[in-house]
Amino acid sequence: MPDRISSVSETRMATGRVLVIGIVAVVAVLGLSASLLFVNLPDAGAFNAAVADVFVLMDVRNPDATRVLEIMAQTGTAFSQVLESYRAVIFVLMVFATALLVACLVFLVTIVILNRRMAEIERQGIQVSSLVLSREERVVLINNLAFKLTDAAMETLAVLAEARLDDEVLSGAQIEAMIAGKHTTEADEAAGATRIKRLRDSLGNQIVSELLVKNIARHGYVLAIDKSVIKMI
Amino acid sequence: MSPRIVSLTCLAVLAAAPAQACYADYRAKMDNPLRLHYGVISLPDTACTMDAARPIIATRLAAAGWDLLQIISIFGPDDLATRRSDAGSYFLRF
Repeated sequence: MPDRISSVSETRMATGRVLVIGIVAVVAVLGLSASLLFVNLPDAGAFNAAVADVFVLMDVRNPDATRVLEIMAQTGTAFSQVLESYRAVIFVLMVFATALLVACLVFLVTIVILNRRMAEIERQGIQVSSLVLSREERVVLINNLAFKLTDAAMETLAVLAEARLDDEVLSGAQIEAMIAGKHTTEADEAAGATRIKRLRDSLGNQIVSELLVKNIARHGYVLAIDKSVIKMI
Repeated sequence: MSPRIVSLTCLAVLAAAPAQACYADYRAKMDNPLRLHYGVISLPDTACTMDAARPIIATRLAAAGWDLLQIISIFGPDDLATRRSDAGSYFLRF
């Protein structure tokens, strides 16, 4: 079975399309129902037309009866003004419904995107969201996991961190020069590389023992992962 | 009397028959606010049929702002009296 391939950017593009289509659909449906509402509700003329029909169909000739019909038409007109205000209220509610549906859709899509991104991050493994250096205690906190470092490794990491803050890339010689206090031309490239190697060894060892190969004191060693994710090929 | 004169006389009688006065009773309305009336109107001799009377009555009513709804019937002077009370102030008004 091939692995399901998905990427966050693809998902975001697809959901963007879904979002646009969804919002357009919601607005279209509610716009349509609003226009149907306005077309189908009887207007003031409907009552008058009905009364005029009665006048003709019932063969009314008496002036008094005709007067009564006119009064009926006037009450109908008064009611149609009430209906007008109802229509405005219904329209406002319609607009509210549109806004709420659009908001719901946006939140739904946001949740989907966030879920996908969470899954992506989980798959990616360790992602550093915080790095705190404490030189006095010789401790580095990565994502609130504390790792102890030697003085030399601490110096190297501090130099690298400062360079990163300034968006600089350091060569081995530059690292050695900064830590040993020499001039760059006198510093040895290999010495810097060695410092990096030691830092990697020490930190990498600790991270792996914290996240993957755990040591339970006086007990033994165990992989710190979920059973279900293990697959033997 | 020659046959020619006889035929001419017949023609004259036939032509004179619709020449007596004719009238129509109708219903009309005016919008905003709705007003209705039943009325009687006199027609020229040449318009004593429903089809001929309709445009004449409609234009005469429209001049006063009324819409013609229906022409009920067209009748001669003999039936005028029975409709006078129903037509009230719209008896031969337009």
